[in-house]
Amino acid sequence: MADISVNVTVDCKGLSCPMPIVRTKKAMDQLEAGQVIEVLATDRGSLADMQGWAKNTGHQYLGTLEDGEVLKHYLRKSRPEELKEAANYPHTISNEELQSKLAASEDIVTLDVREPAEYAFGHIPGAVSIPLGDLEARLSELDPEDSIHVVCRTGSRSDLACHLLAEHGFQYVSNVVPGMSAWTGPIGNQ
Amino acid sequence: MSTKVAIIASNGGQFDAYKVFNIATAAAATEAEVAIFFTFEGLNLIHKQAHQQLPLPAGREQFAEGFQKANVPGIPELVAMAQELGVRMIGCQMTMDVMNLTKDEFIDGIEVGGAVTFLDFAKDANVTLSF
Repeated sequence: MADISVNVTVDCKGLSCPMPIVRTKKAMDQLEAGQVIEVLATDRGSLADMQGWAKNTGHQYLGTLEDGEVLKHYLRKSRPEELKEAANYPHTISNEELQSKLAASEDIVTLDVREPAEYAFGHIPGAVSIPLGDLEARLSELDPEDSIHVVCRTGSRSDLACHLLAEHGFQYVSNVVPGMSAWTGPIGNQ
Repeated sequence: MSTKVAIIASNGGQFDAYKVFNIATAAAATEAEVAIFFTFEGLNLIHKQAHQQLPLPAGREQFAEGFQKANVPGIPELVAMAQELGVRMIGCQMTMDVMNLTKDEFIDGIEVGGAVTFLDFAKDANVTLSF
């Protein structure tokens, strides 16, 4: 797996429970919504604790990589507005429709606008990764004539991305709803 | 509404202190509202001097090394962390009277109250624990 870019790294190596959780909470309080944190820990219990912590606080647990003795946990601070499904870009496509288009090898581009760490822990095979925050600066990497299907976790960031693409003259843009949170199709992590 | 965790601490050993404060800090860090009611020997856990050197159970003194090796924070450190995370600590007035202890013999920031003070918090708690 490629390097995962994060906004902050918290080093909890050598610390026992409950320190990794306490440090994670403190660091998370300093982050802005949407940012990603990496927690380095040697406490094996932190593997289950991080997932339980995220579930109870509403933040997003992305996954864990093991590097020898060190567990590298990745979490993303959630945005309150992501919890509601207020997608208002008119052209939407369901997960299932996208899945059948991909299965039929239709000539479409899947654009994943989540953070690199989210993408790294599982994405639609072949999806192009451009985080929402970088999209405007990287529009030249996309072709306005392509049929682009934009996906994120819940359809909220992809909705914003669809508006942005449409404003810049992209004509064939659809928002994939709900997105990766309910994706049951093939997953890649390369 | 956030999860509420109500804990009764009624024993005064080092193992007891870890059970109480580990659960309390972990819960508070997970954005739960936490209150601990200290009664009988549990008062040692927040007594200014006593909580600095709580006894290990007889015959288990060898664990002192284990705590150090596992880099487990000391009890005073855990107590400070719990307070920083907003854990409410309530000393039992009745036991303090029996033991002839006053509030100023305890760490700063605690409350003193009777059983109803705790019950009022615990009546709608999602998790209630007794150590």
